[in-house]
This record gives sequence, structure tokens and C-alpha cells, in this order.
Amino acid sequence: MSDVLAPTEILALANILDELDYYQVLHIDPGASAAQVRQAFHASSRAFHPDANRHLDREHREAITKIARRITEAYTVLRDAKRRRAYDEGRGTGQRRMQIAEAEARAEQTATAELEGATPNGRRYSALARQDLARGDLAAALRNLQTAATFEPGNSHFKATIQDLKEQIEASRRRQKAI
Amino acid sequence: MADVAIGIDLGTSNSCVAIAQDRSVEVIPNAYGEATSASVVAFREDGTITVGNAAKANIIHDPVHTVYSSKRLIGRYFFSEEVKKARAICSYRIVEGPNHSVRIQIRDDQYSLPEISALVLKEMKAVAEAHLGQPVTKAVVTVPAYFNDNQRQATKDAARVAGLEVLRILNEPTAAALAYGFGQGLTQKVAIYDLGGGTFDISVLEIGTDVFEVLSTCGDTFLGGDDFDDRLIDLLADEFSAAHGVNLRKDPFAFEKLKVAAESAKKNLSVDDEVEIRIPGIVEHDGTSLSVERRIAQDEFAGLVMDLVMRTFKVCDEALQQANLTVRDLDGVILVGGPTRLPLIRKAVGDYFQQPPKTNIDPDEVVAKGAAIHAASLTAPEQQAYLLDVTPLSLRIGVAGGLAETVIERNTPVPIEQTRTFTTFQDFQERVKIRVYQGEARQSEENEMLGQFEFAGFRKARRGEVEIDVTFAIDSDGLVRVTACDRATGQQASTEITLSSGLSEEEIEDILEKGDTDRVQTASADDLIAGEAETALDTPPEMEIQPAPEMEIETPSVPGVDPEPPVAADVRVELSAGADVRVEPSAAADVRVEPSAAPDVPVEPPAAPEVNIAPPPAPEVHVEPPAAPQPVPPPSREATPSVAPQPSSNVAADAPAARPRPPTTPRPAAGPAAPRLESLDEMVEIDDLDILQNLDEGDDAGSDELELMEGVETPPAELRGAALDLEEPEGSPDDPVPLDAHGGVDEANVKARDAYLGDAGGDLSSYRDDEE
Repeated sequence: MSDVLAPTEILALANILDELDYYQVLHIDPGASAAQVRQAFHASSRAFHPDANRHLDREHREAITKIARRITEAYTVLRDAKRRRAYDEGRGTGQRRMQIAEAEARAEQTATAELEGATPNGRRYSALARQDLARGDLAAALRNLQTAATFEPGNSHFKATIQDLKEQIEASRRRQKAI
Repeated sequence: MADVAIGIDLGTSNSCVAIAQDRSVEVIPNAYGEATSASVVAFREDGTITVGNAAKANIIHDPVHTVYSSKRLIGRYFFSEEVKKARAICSYRIVEGPNHSVRIQIRDDQYSLPEISALVLKEMKAVAEAHLGQPVTKAVVTVPAYFNDNQRQATKDAARVAGLEVLRILNEPTAAALAYGFGQGLTQKVAIYDLGGGTFDISVLEIGTDVFEVLSTCGDTFLGGDDFDDRLIDLLADEFSAAHGVNLRKDPFAFEKLKVAAESAKKNLSVDDEVEIRIPGIVEHDGTSLSVERRIAQDEFAGLVMDLVMRTFKVCDEALQQANLTVRDLDGVILVGGPTRLPLIRKAVGDYFQQPPKTNIDPDEVVAKGAAIHAASLTAPEQQAYLLDVTPLSLRIGVAGGLAETVIERNTPVPIEQTRTFTTFQDFQERVKIRVYQGEARQSEENEMLGQFEFAGFRKARRGEVEIDVTFAIDSDGLVRVTACDRATGQQASTEITLSSGLSEEEIEDILEKGDTDRVQTASADDLIAGEAETALDTPPEMEIQPAPEMEIETPSVPGVDPEPPVAADVRVELSAGADVRVEPSAAADVRVEPSAAPDVPVEPPAAPEVNIAPPPAPEVHVEPPAAPQPVPPPSREATPSVAPQPSSNVAADAPAARPRPPTTPRPAAGPAAPRLESLDEMVEIDDLDILQNLDEGDDAGSDELELMEGVETPPAELRGAALDLEEPEGSPDDPVPLDAHGGVDEANVKARDAYLGDAGGDLSSYRDDEE
């Protein structure tokens, strides 16, 4: 891997970086799993780690560094599920590069939107669930959220919260048993 | 003679040097057969300087002229908390140097911290040279992972003053992981719990065959074994004062004796269940000689320090959370640093991580060994291990309202480059000032100031219309470069900030030229942290405007762990028993360093500032030095003049001259909106950059910002407009041209892309195969 590219290819690659999306930068399929993303990061890092290319001249070292930075950037966005979702959305509209802060901000926006719910019924029941939570009634919150989720099966926030609530309820049951 | 490179663990209390040769790694013992040497420098009456364990013994006799724990002070401002604390407890004199730097007053001379550390490093270098019988000029030097950029830069400067070319500043925990996992063919997730003399670091790593990826690192630079000693000292001093009415803290000699006793009691508690502290005749009072006598058992000691230990676990929580792991995901816990020998720590760590820590690793030597492995790897023809480290602290930029906006989050892998877009705050503004901070606080002054520079010469337009991309790049060698670029004109400026350490480039060169590395003159030492401190104090902008300078901050991108140096005493016994007691006549063996002695080893010419100084025609447009309103710069600031005017090749690489437009990174859209930079004239009253609120923060953030800018009416709507058109590419003429359109795509590039993407055969496809 470390001898993948000839010096001229390195320069060429550095020049076209902006035309590659993050998956292309890491040489992976857009459907790659999280483990594959990490593996690809390690593999790419071997090939383009500035340490491994100290023998090159300045121009090539700089090109390598530029590539290495982009590899890290791609990894930093793709390794995080939320950021990756945000990136995938942007990529769908032709965006190839998304700064970490931007991906983060978009992910947060999505999270907020999901928290509220996207359908009238989803919003209604998730609002009820939040009220239940405020009162400390976990079981009622769970029921309402499960109802909300039937209207929005793709809402990952609902899913995660439901899971979380179930665990909390289970834990409190165990505690009561112990007493 | 083959070129060799050593690894040096420069610890708060003790330092250790190691070398990796012929597939084995060994710690190099000093002339007395000790694996570690105290990081202590004694300045004797006759002008000689002693470094190491002999110097440590001197503390009791001459506490005022013996410098210890200087690592706690390096790279810090005089007004910092840590320095205040040190002034209260240290027996040597800590004074303020120019520009808020820290100096040590020894008789009539003042020493900067890098100079003190250089003496220790030089000693370690000499130890290695004596052992190897050849000059050593290259080294990997470790620092705590949580060291900020100023501290790293200062450490690097110290090494240069000591005549060493620093191959890499390596984080101590990363070094430890390397020593643990190198060549073992492991695939593990490990935590490195590194409690040193003055710092605590925790790093979580994933170790693969040849890749060491740091998943997160967190730390506390105010917590270490010294604090454990302090607890014991407090106990003894308080009891003594209650019993005899005498405050031992007021008597430097008595206090040092107390310290020595406390430290050795702590060390003995690593082995024994109970120790007795006895200091006969510690002080004379009313004609009677008073003594300290006290027994202390493990449990009582544990009670004294348990809160400190708990504090380390808070940091561990944070690190695990940042790595997105729980203790159950870890395959191992590695202890680094002398204090981790304490049974109470081992037990607490075992409880916290739900697994016993690895005990087959010497916590005092593991960091130096890791550094040596990396040094060998960096000088070998074939790379053997790849370190993928993270930046331990967030990099920020100062914006309006005294706030600091994050550009690169902590625990982001390096090398990396990120850009945020800012805008001007005044109509037809000519200059903006860019201040760079490091830290986790929203308020800029609570962060560490790394440096600042001004950017001018961009298009003059109404406020909010100019878009300035500020790009931070951190490379794996730990350098941070900050570049500002006007999108519309491609006007670009970048600058190197090298003042953090307190020694300017010229000063270092001066020292090296004089060859007088032992007794470095005060003159050379002036302002450590010069300019920065000023900013931190919120004084008017001071930096000179440099045409097309390139800004480079050394950062901590590197790995590190702070292994606490070992308890010299214990080690001594083991080692001296060995066959290894060499009595070498060499300079190294002689712990005493004659002040005038020229460096015994050819000193490498001052390694030129690693980056820049490249000749390539930089694309930058010449920036008019705006008549700086403030008369300028402390000498050290304008430092690097040698470098400044040079168009940097780095910049050139990033923005080839040919390019009609600045590198158009897709604009940070939704989230990070464009903050605005304010004009110089305003800076005194208002702070620098104004951030256009993030979309997701809504109007509130924006109006907050506005409130802070009294007297300047900027309708929120306008701000929002500017932020919004981030999403409407057709918006203003200033908008970045979409990538495809910007002219960078020619046939060759298309071909290159296709080739890279693997449609071609040959090497490239093999690359792909590996991937899949």
C-alpha cells in the first residue's frame, strides 16, 4: 500500500482532491460500514502518512500532506453516524466536501427536527411524551413515543429515545426488585 | 557512524533517554547507572551547573539556586494560575520577564524556561552520547498529551537550544502505547493512564498491526504526583505548626527537607504498608532543635489523596465518552508514571476500568522507549509504525463579544485542515485581526492565546459583503498554520506564529551560534511569550503586519504521554547491581557542566524553521502594510523576519498561483456561518470578529452579538441575510464558484481522477484491492 502512487500521481491526486467526495477520498463504497470506514482510514494513512514520505522533495511532501489532511477530514465526518447522514444528504445535492463544523451543525438541525417530529401525529405524541418525561412518568412517555414512532418509522431520534426509555424502565424495575 | 536518533522523556520530576537499535529498545543509564535522572538543575556558587540526581541532592543545601519541576512553568505566562502557585511553593525565584514571560532568577542572571529545560535535555543527550560513543543530534522528545501549543513550542525550542534536531514532539501516552504495542501484532483498544509528576493524561487508542490510532485524549496539566507530595507536606506542616507554633513553610531549608521527606515517604508507600517520616532537627526554635516524626499508613495516605485520584477518573470519563467507548470495550489499561506504582492508584484504576492494569511495563521507562521506537522509525528507510494522533485542545478564533469560535474541535485527528468564513464588521473596512486561541472555553480570555496576525488588502466593501476564509491546518508534526483568504480576490495572507515559547527564532539562533548552550544569556531569553501575553491581556493589537507572512503555530498535534519519571532511588539499586556501572570519562559522565564549555558535540545548525522559507512564488498578493495604528511589536514578535517576507511554499501548495480564485472549499453552509471581522480601529473597544449566528442558533445568538457591539448599528436582518445566502449559491457575486466551474478542472485532472478511482489497472487497482 505504501508504494501505491508514483510521485507524479501524487501531485495529480492532490490537484483533483476537490473533485472527489469523501468516499472516493477513502476509496470506499458509499454503503461502507463504520468498520470499513476505519479500515480505509488506516489503509489510506499508511499510503499517505507524511512520516512515511519524508524522502520526497518538498513539493511532493506538501502534496502528500494535503491529501493526508483530506483523508483525515473525510474520516472525521464519515466515522460519526450523525455527521455521515448530514454529509450524505449534502452529497446527494452535489456537495463533495463538508467541513466538520458544518456536518455537525446540520446533524444537530436534523436531530432537533426529529425530536419535534415531522408529521402532525408524530409531533403530537412526541410532545405528549416530553410532557410525561417532565413529570417523570417513564412508562407513559414510552407509550406515547411508541405511538409517535408508528407515524414516523424512520425517525432515529424516536427509536433511540424509546430504547433509552426501555433501558431506564428496566433498570428501575431491577432496583425495585433488589429492594 | 550510523546516524542515530534517541527518544527522550522529559519529565516534570525525572527524565529518561532510550534508543532503539537492532530491533531492541533499551533505556540508557546515566553515568551512575541510573535509568532516570532528576529534571533538576543546580546553579552552584562557583558558576558550575549541575543537572540530574546530583542536582536534586543539592536542593536541601541550596534551595534558592536549584530549579526543579520547571516543566510546570514552561510555555506559560507569568500571570497564569500555575505560575502563581509555583511562586508560592517553589524555593527558587520566579520572576517576570519581558512580555509576561516567566524567568528564573539565579543570582544576577535570569533564565528562560526553555533554557532550563535545555540543560536537562543536554544532560540526557550527553548520557546517550557517552553510552553510544558518538554524537547524537536527533531526537523525539515527549510532552504530555494535554500540553498546549505554547508548551510544545517551548519544549521544542529547548531541544534546539540543547543542540538537538527534534524529529517529532510526541505525546507521552502515544509513546507509551507504541512501546506497548509495537511489533506485537496486537489488535486492541487500550487506555493509557498517565499520572506524571506534574500532569495527568489519559489517552484511548486503537492499536492495529502497524497503526496506532488515538481515539481521544484528555488531561489535566495541574494534577500530578507532586500534588500527592503536597498533601503529605500540608499534613506534616500543619501538625508541626499546631504542635510547635512554627510554620515550616516559611523556612526554605526546612521546607525543602520536608518536601524531600514527603516524596520519599510517598515512594516508599508504593512498597510498604506503613512508613515513618523522621526529620531530626528540622528547625531551631527558641533555642531548641525540633524534629518531625510521623508514621503514616497506606490507608491514611489514601484518605489524603483520594480526591486527587477521583479527579483523574473524571478526566477518564471524558476521554471514554469522546472515544465513544465504555470501559468494557477496552482490552487493556497501561499505567505510566512513577505515581502509578502506588498500590492505592493501581487498585483504584483497576476498579474504575473493571480490569487490573498491565503490570509488566515499567511505568518510568515506557515513554522513553516509545519515543526511541518512533525516533528509529522516523530515521529508518521504511516506516514501521503509523501514528494517527489527535489534537488535544480545540483551536479557536477570537470573535466579537470576547468569544472564541471553534475552528477545529479537540480530539480531531491530525493532520487536518478546516476553514471558517468570516466577514467584515464595518463598511469599507481595510484590515481585520485574527487571533488564535487554544482551549475549551467559550470566552476567549479563558483560553490560551497562541498568537495573532492581521489580514489586510482584501476587497473593500460594505460590511458583511467581504468573505474571508480563515483556514487552520494542523499537520502531524504539530505545526498549525493559519491562513486568511479573501474569497473574492484570492488575496491571501498567512503568518507564522512562533513566539509562543518565549524564545524567538533569532534568540535560539543566537544561542546556538554562541555555542554557549550551557549558560545561555539573559539577553537571548527575553520574551517568552511576548506578544501573546499582550493579547491575552486585551491590549491593543500589536502585531506588525507582515506582507505575506505565513503563520505557523506549533501545535500539539502530536501524541504524548507524560510518563512520570521514576523514582530514581529504586531504579538505582537495580541498575547499579547490574554489570552496567561504567565509569566513562566522557562529557556525559561528568554531570557537572562547565558553563563555558562549548558543546562537546557539533551542534546542528539551528534547524531552520521547518516549514516555509520556500522560494516558490507565492500566490499571495502583496498586502499593504496598513499604517498600523499601534506602534509595534516587541522585538520577539517581529521575530522571524527571516521567515516572514518569504512567500511560503505551503501557501503556494494550497493555492497555486495560477488559480484565479482562492481555494474554494464549499462554503460552510448551514452551521458555521460567517462571522465578521471588525476593523482595527474598533478593536480597542469591541472585540474582533463578529460571528454571523449559526443558522441553528437562530436570531438570539445574533442579537446577542449585536448588543455587544454598541454604537454600531447592524441590523440583524442583514446578518442573517449574509448567513443565509450560504445556502443560496446564486446569491451574491462573492459567492464561491462551485468547484467544477472554477477552472481547476482540466483534462489531465479528469484523467488523474479516473485513474485514482481505479478504472485504470496497475498499482491503482491493487490499492483498491487492498481496500476491499
